[in-house]
Amino acid sequence: MPIFECRNLTKNYGGVQALSNVNLTVESGRIVGLLGPNGSGKTTMIKLANGLLTPTSGQVLIDGIAPGIETKKLVSYLPERTYIPLWMDLGQLLDFFADFYGDFRRDAAMEMISHLGIDMKQKVKEMSKGTREKVQLIMVMSRAARLYMLDEPIGGVDPATRDYIIGTIIGNYDPQAAVIISTHLIADVENVLDDVIFINKGEIVLQSSVDDIRQKYGKSVDALFREEFRCWEN
Amino acid sequence: MEWQLDANAPIYSQLIESLELAIVAGQFSPGERLPSVRDMALEAGVNPNTMQRALQELERNGLVFSQRTAGRFVTEERRLIDEAKKALAGKNIRSFLDSMSRLGYGKEEIIALIRSDTGEAMANANI
Amino acid sequence: MLGKLMKYEFRATGQTMLPLLLFLLVSAVGVNLSARIVDHSDSNAAQFVAGILMFLFVMAILVLSVMSIFLMAQRFYKNFLTDEGYLMFTLPVSVHGLLWSKIFVSAIWFVAVGLADVLAAFIATFKVSAVVNIAGNIKDMFSYITTEYALNGAAFVAEGIIIVFLACAGMCLLFYAAMAVGFSFPRHKWLLSVVFFFVFQLVLQIFGLGGMFTWVQSVGPASTASVFAQVHTSMLVVIAAEAAFCAIFYVITALMLKKKLNLE
Repeated sequence: MPIFECRNLTKNYGGVQALSNVNLTVESGRIVGLLGPNGSGKTTMIKLANGLLTPTSGQVLIDGIAPGIETKKLVSYLPERTYIPLWMDLGQLLDFFADFYGDFRRDAAMEMISHLGIDMKQKVKEMSKGTREKVQLIMVMSRAARLYMLDEPIGGVDPATRDYIIGTIIGNYDPQAAVIISTHLIADVENVLDDVIFINKGEIVLQSSVDDIRQKYGKSVDALFREEFRCWEN
Repeated sequence: MEWQLDANAPIYSQLIESLELAIVAGQFSPGERLPSVRDMALEAGVNPNTMQRALQELERNGLVFSQRTAGRFVTEERRLIDEAKKALAGKNIRSFLDSMSRLGYGKEEIIALIRSDTGEAMANANI
Repeated sequence: MLGKLMKYEFRATGQTMLPLLLFLLVSAVGVNLSARIVDHSDSNAAQFVAGILMFLFVMAILVLSVMSIFLMAQRFYKNFLTDEGYLMFTLPVSVHGLLWSKIFVSAIWFVAVGLADVLAAFIATFKVSAVVNIAGNIKDMFSYITTEYALNGAAFVAEGIIIVFLACAGMCLLFYAAMAVGFSFPRHKWLLSVVFFFVFQLVLQIFGLGGMFTWVQSVGPASTASVFAQVHTSMLVVIAAEAAFCAIFYVITALMLKKKLNLE
């Protein structure tokens, strides 16, 4: 049973067809890159998977079930934005995640937090943007979920933070879980990915493993993407 | 350990090459325990699945063996390591000869160049 | 889950509400003390200070009332319709749990503000003027009602509590529904929320007035039923009407949040 599956998934809104007859599967234990330019439908697909949007037609399935309370227990989602309440301090945030998510590993989170030297009493609104992003990542990766969905996790961060994030993803690897990383910054994450899915204007253009692409085209996925993208733009 | 990864070639084969080189060059002694898949993947910045497959290939050709709970170890059979070393040397030599012949050098000229250049070149290469 | 949601809702709102409530009670004490001083002296300075403290006291009451309503609307907006919505709507809880946690906590604060107002009034006037007998009068009234008409007294209180709760919930849901609908549109979200707020209010008033007219006419001037039976029926009718309105706005809000959530 694939942990994530889209069947003829279509989503229209605001007069635009954001996703058009998308079919794909992701198996457990894989780290997959969802790659495409801005506005290609990546975020729409992730929102659909999390029940924040409902499909116009077709299905999105997490472990065979449509998004709902049961799938939310399985999916750990890192949105592109600061989504943690600003009034909370770090201790309260940990309490919050522990209260609502049965798979939250408080000790793992504490280890990462002490590693970064963040004060437990510090309020989210007092944290710098970089610290906030790291905290959000720690919360998401500290859950023992079956599917992690990271939306642009390394966009707009300094190289040290980027390395930290990639290191966290590698170090957290679990063969029972899958990780879907949605990004347009391919070069930075390419070595970490098993498979890549190219999406453009709501349609799947390519689905393959990183090594197959490098073998077949003799170039990195990033290089291939840039070439293809120039074609797509026309 | 040094991981040199070229973006245009498959990661899997490059990991195998790097690991073979490290073993053959003595960075890991015969019988020495290798770091865990996770640690090596972290160090190289690659997917643990790919690192695992690379290590499995090394198990297949005998350079490495695994003990269920204890982890992975470099083989103690020096014969296998020497064979791998020779194979790598052969590859390097073939590649060198190929480049030299494209420059237009023939066999006698190549040997003469090595002889005359030997002192400085070898000093530079720490031989 | 509901309990946990309410816990965090109280934590988020308590930081604002508790200091204000405290301020109200403290200013009530201030009014009381300054009034006694004015009673016993002719000093203009004392009168001036008493005036200021009375002003602060009145401001405190006003601010508390306005703040409790503003906070209720703001919490819904911030927690559900902005980036925090990414956190709340991906929790393994139902939309109903999320909504009820907000309604219950807001209702509790409204009641707390009401009780605090009453308490503050007592503190401010305690042994200062002839108002001192009010507490005693209310107590007498209650004991009269309950001893003479025991069952009815308790029933009135129960009905009263339900009416108060539904009124609080109704006010919340009026705001929630207007915002939930307004924000389901891609543009002009705030403008549309305000528009829908007034539309819903208008509809409420029309039905409320219309309902009252038909009810009064149907009862008739000379009813044979006892006073208490009539009061009971009126209260039950009010409860039914409030419940109906709450249900309608609840359904609108829940549907919008489930199907038309439009987080950026």
